[in-house]
Amino acid sequence: MAIQKGHGIASIEYPTGMNQNGDPSQAWIKVKPDGRIDVFSGTTDIGNGSKTIQSQIVADTIGVPYDWITFDNSNTDSSPVCTGTFASRATFVAGKAVLKAAQRVRERILEVAGQEMEISPDDLDLDDGDVFAKDAPTRRMSVGDVAAAATWTYGELITGTGAHLNPYVPIVDSSTGEVDSPPHAAISYAACAADVEVNDETGEVRVLRLIQAYDVGRAINPALLEGQIEGGAMMGLGLGVLEDSYPYYPSVDNRAGDFGSYYAPSSADLPEMVNVIIENPSVDGPYGAKGIGEMANNAQPAAIATAVHDAVGVWVTELPITPERVLAALDAKSGGSGPRREGKHVAYDEEISINAVGTGLAWRAD
Amino acid sequence: MKAVGARLPRYDGVGHATGRTAFVDDIRAHGTLWAKALRSPHDYATITRLDTTAAENMPGVRAVITHADVPLLEYGHLSALGIPADEPLLAKDEVRYKGQPIALVAAETTEQAADAVAAIEVDFAPKTPLFDVRKAFDADVSQPHHWGTVYPHFEESMDRRQIRKGSIEKAFDDADKIISGVYRPAAIEQMPIETQVCLSVPEPDGRFTIYSCTQALYFSMGVVAAHMQIPLNRLKFVGGTVGGGFGGKVDTATETVCTLLAQRSGRPVKWRWTREEEFLCSSTRAPWHMEIIDAVTDDGWILGRKMLTLHDAGAYARFSPYGVTKHSFHHTGAYTIPNLHFDGYVVFTNRVPTTAMRGYGVTSVSFAVESHMSRVAEELGIDPFELRLKNANRIGDTSPNGIAYTDPSTVDVLHAISEATGNELAPGYAAASRQRRAGEWLPDHLLAQISDTEVH
Repeated sequence: MAIQKGHGIASIEYPTGMNQNGDPSQAWIKVKPDGRIDVFSGTTDIGNGSKTIQSQIVADTIGVPYDWITFDNSNTDSSPVCTGTFASRATFVAGKAVLKAAQRVRERILEVAGQEMEISPDDLDLDDGDVFAKDAPTRRMSVGDVAAAATWTYGELITGTGAHLNPYVPIVDSSTGEVDSPPHAAISYAACAADVEVNDETGEVRVLRLIQAYDVGRAINPALLEGQIEGGAMMGLGLGVLEDSYPYYPSVDNRAGDFGSYYAPSSADLPEMVNVIIENPSVDGPYGAKGIGEMANNAQPAAIATAVHDAVGVWVTELPITPERVLAALDAKSGGSGPRREGKHVAYDEEISINAVGTGLAWRAD
Repeated sequence: MKAVGARLPRYDGVGHATGRTAFVDDIRAHGTLWAKALRSPHDYATITRLDTTAAENMPGVRAVITHADVPLLEYGHLSALGIPADEPLLAKDEVRYKGQPIALVAAETTEQAADAVAAIEVDFAPKTPLFDVRKAFDADVSQPHHWGTVYPHFEESMDRRQIRKGSIEKAFDDADKIISGVYRPAAIEQMPIETQVCLSVPEPDGRFTIYSCTQALYFSMGVVAAHMQIPLNRLKFVGGTVGGGFGGKVDTATETVCTLLAQRSGRPVKWRWTREEEFLCSSTRAPWHMEIIDAVTDDGWILGRKMLTLHDAGAYARFSPYGVTKHSFHHTGAYTIPNLHFDGYVVFTNRVPTTAMRGYGVTSVSFAVESHMSRVAEELGIDPFELRLKNANRIGDTSPNGIAYTDPSTVDVLHAISEATGNELAPGYAAASRQRRAGEWLPDHLLAQISDTEVH
């Protein structure tokens, strides 16, 4: 019996926004009489940080401090359409909706300020809650005073709406899957290196370290990104070595019905993690951002499977990589089994292929 | 200070950390009734009798609903895209998975609701279920779904999602090696701490306020409005803060039945799934079956890929056709492969319908493709970084469906991982970039796939 160590890598990509697009998000913003900003967005926060990210985008786009922002996504009477929080779309697609709404609000603030200051709005700038003349920065007026003037002097409401939609992209040829424009927003990229140890007597796999690199386009909030990367990695670890809704798949028997009998990762499984954030700005995301929420659990299973092979010389291609599967693969290997080699063909896993179990689809006849 | 780029704390972090954030189950409405479901005890069966009369007369019971009480019984997750619906809100003639809801009771207490559920008279005639997606094409197999064993409504009534690019036959002819493998990631639970839960409150003006844990307020509002055949202004969804979703809370599992019960009883109704229901009756990530056959050269080029995907949808389609299409668009992973032959099927089985989960459609293919890349590297005796860098997507390369990549970062993230792990790349590979292919990076077999349009 021995503990064997192994190392493996994986490299992945993942699209932002719904596949084939067609998923709108909308937002509207109003300014209170003291300049404070109310954002109404339909984006649900499922723990991904939508409220924070969208507030950050609004603050910088208008040019006011972050703590001036109130974010309301609480109901459909006051908030406009957001297709939903899925498809890694909240930062990118919904982020663009609030960005556009914030741009309109900024324009309106400059117009009202221009009226008050008797300067063309084109000659005004706005930063950190103050409007000022570009060529004479001491001529300035707070956004609070601008909003008060709009309310009490001019009888106006400073508001702005924004919407973002990449129109639906149909498949133009169903025999080839061809499309004629990009079927999603930006693509994000990531790579993962896993270090594992495998007990070759018990079959247990322990993930020791995950080193991960993500091209996020632009890190709007690095702390929340690290949360996505590390939280996602634990879900990937669960998928890789622990979790299974159907322990005797394809049978539906012996399903776990509670936390005590379902093997989800816990803090005891937490490996060392090293995160590398790369910022190659996307062409059209808000501040260059892409979305990485979902892909954060995609790279680990293959990196871990490769590391297990590096450690003990067997490929486990049915997830999760349980002790039973590792031991069965080690037994098969010591029994001399391996891929079928014939001419230039190297055929792995034939025993679990459709042609080994079913009869109706002549898939492997090559 | 600029907000973008700053490590600002979560907007709702203090509330979450101190337990003061109000989630759906924290909402109290005076006079709330509690809902419980009659669920199928069978994997697959015909319902031969369903009688709720006794249950309706039980103490504390204020409303009982079955399929007959739903104005539009079937409304699909993808109906808005013109894809036909297949799943009844409440089972009508048959049940196709264990746990499928058949009838709902609203009563003064959960105990009274549970007692009434037990009093519903229902008989079944069990049928032979199908569980193994690999048997879906067998001649004598049991049909788990009225559409058969596979989803038949891709464009032009195709029974699969197909990708074809270049010539797979030529790739196999030209290959030095043809390497195949089979990859089967499991179903797993989204496992949110907050189980599926909804409170629907009938308002004096005839509207319904629906406190929902949905990940998509407007999508779910559309689903409820469609089932009830009422305009959107009769509904107000309240939510936006979810106690864990991971994809499973796009399903709109509770909102419509709560609102139907609220309409019938004139009282607020809450349906809070138990932990056991969340595990056994809520949708899971799909199990996938993927077979990859790669045509490769001895020096590490991937000339072609033939791939078969069987997506275990469970008993109804839900988002599965979308998931398989997304999967097909990404079946080359982060690499450029000029000759492709992909067939992806949505296969019906008699398990709980599967649905979206983080990475939907692509998590599976990332595992298959990257495990396979590692195997190919080993078979060819090539460094795993070099194999990946060589075939990495670059600007101007085209995707499986023919779209040019504008800003691919496969090379950049591989370089970052190489450096962070202390790996030393050969000079040529250390100098690789995302820029358009040229010279040794542009072998003849990649010429035809490159887009000649200018890309930024």
